[in-house]
Amino acid sequence: MFLALKEMRHSKTRFLMIGAIIMLIGWLVFILSGLGNGLSSLAAATMKNIDGDLFIYEEGSEAAMMKTKVSGSIADDIVGKYNVEQAANFGQSTIIVHNENVPDVKEKNDVTFIGIEPGKFIEPTVIEGQQLDPNDKFGVLIDESLQEKGYDIGDTIVVTSSNLKLKVIGFTKGETFNHLPTIFGHIATWQSYAFAAPGSDNGLEYPVSMIALQGNDIEAEKIQKDFDLIETFSKSEAVMGMPGYKEESATIYMMLAFLFVISAIIIAVFFYVFILQKTQQFGVMKAIGASDRFIKNSIISQVFFLSSVSIIAGIGLTYLTALALPEEMPFNLDFKIVLLYAVILLIVSVLGSVISARRVTKIDPLTAIGRVE
Amino acid sequence: MTGLQLRNVTKSFKEGDTTVDALKNVSLSVEAGDFIAIIGPSGSGKSTLLSIAGALLQPSKGEVSINGKNIEKMNEKELSSFRLTDIGFILQTSNLIPYLNVLDQLILVCKMKGKVTSKDIDLAKTLLKDLGLGEKLNKFPDELSGGERQRVAIARAFVNNSNIILADEPTASLDSNRAFEVVKQIRKEVKERNKAAVMVTHDERMLEFCDKVYRMADGVLTLEK
Repeated sequence: MFLALKEMRHSKTRFLMIGAIIMLIGWLVFILSGLGNGLSSLAAATMKNIDGDLFIYEEGSEAAMMKTKVSGSIADDIVGKYNVEQAANFGQSTIIVHNENVPDVKEKNDVTFIGIEPGKFIEPTVIEGQQLDPNDKFGVLIDESLQEKGYDIGDTIVVTSSNLKLKVIGFTKGETFNHLPTIFGHIATWQSYAFAAPGSDNGLEYPVSMIALQGNDIEAEKIQKDFDLIETFSKSEAVMGMPGYKEESATIYMMLAFLFVISAIIIAVFFYVFILQKTQQFGVMKAIGASDRFIKNSIISQVFFLSSVSIIAGIGLTYLTALALPEEMPFNLDFKIVLLYAVILLIVSVLGSVISARRVTKIDPLTAIGRVE
Repeated sequence: MTGLQLRNVTKSFKEGDTTVDALKNVSLSVEAGDFIAIIGPSGSGKSTLLSIAGALLQPSKGEVSINGKNIEKMNEKELSSFRLTDIGFILQTSNLIPYLNVLDQLILVCKMKGKVTSKDIDLAKTLLKDLGLGEKLNKFPDELSGGERQRVAIARAFVNNSNIILADEPTASLDSNRAFEVVKQIRKEVKERNKAAVMVTHDERMLEFCDKVYRMADGVLTLEK
């Protein structure tokens, strides 16, 4: 640390520039992580919020909502068996709505309509208004992001291409599904909307999209064996089945992985060049009696210090940027993830310097002697 | 047995297919309190001799005893820690660390050994004061004159309190007055602190300050004075 800090104090410009580069890489990493996080919750927040352990979909549906229809009566049949403690039916449709209470606004909004049984564990807690009422078939909970679009408690929502009208009774927070804000309503209402056309229910009794189950060590195999035309999925498989989810997160992760590799290479190359520049200096130190370890430690501690400070600056810059980003942007910084990436970035930079520092072993202390001759 | 003893030392280097003897059967003995000089033209082998005496190189043949310890069997690591504790090098002017101030140049040597004690710092300050640098402790090398830089190098060689002092062209790139000054100061420190010192130089003006003068020619060492 002694040499490392003294050197940085002496050549400020050089180290400020490298620090700035590390900070910018960190900034990019954190912005990407925020964006990835924002996108993934936009794509699947409602799904992720369900505290379910196992999910029943139609056989061959690959956990995709568009492809699945199962009989909701299964839910009643399996509660209390197969280690299932609770089962909740779940119906999903994408609908287009507008607000009847604001007649001069003609704007229509795409939303996800999710039918649930009031009081079951998948019902989110409202932040304002009331929970769903089993006796009120047309009351709905809407995501707070719809508030900005002029929807409020007590408003009547008109569903396009049907004679269905819904009444807003509460707001929920952070409920989006398939990149659209979620509206929670009564499952019977959803069924009458989704299966209005004759035959669209595939002849199923009490059709729903999916059944969410709660319980420890649910016997998935046995359930699959005992019921026809169904397939069970874990929660992560169900989230992965969300449209675009896999593709979006894979893109973000790939970019993050590249950034980590790039930062390691940048650090390694910078410090390799520094070491080459300082060959004479290190030769002198080795002649005086410095061990390779002493010199390597000073290089690595320098990188550790420089990277730590730069990454912290990058985190600060990221939160400042987040303030300036528009509200609609799917940007959601999770401090735990930011911290995780900061640590990865730090490890990767230190690894880069460790690779470069190996060069020190090759420096011959003899370079210090007899240079004038 | 203190001091520096070389007995029948030969050092050969491979140059392509042929082997060149840089040192041929060289013997040299320097006792504590002795300040000797080795002169000779370029390529005569004096740097090789200094490198062997300073445990930077190992001899091909012969015996080297520094401070009573033989270096032929030591590995890289042992050599480097041996240099740290038993040998003080006075290297050329440019060989100070550019981003350390005068006092830190000396503290660095103590740091290499491990913890720096207040005794180390006191010794460093005394050495620098003896050499007339008491006012310049916080100056960086580029703020010093050539002579001052060389005096820092001298102080650095003494700070680990080793018994052997080796100087490599300490007067190179200095004018006559400063060169005399520097060599006189090396002599003063060597005598006061009872060290065994070897100076390699091709500056014959400096020889009057040395107890013995050896001449090196084509790898053969002969006593001149």
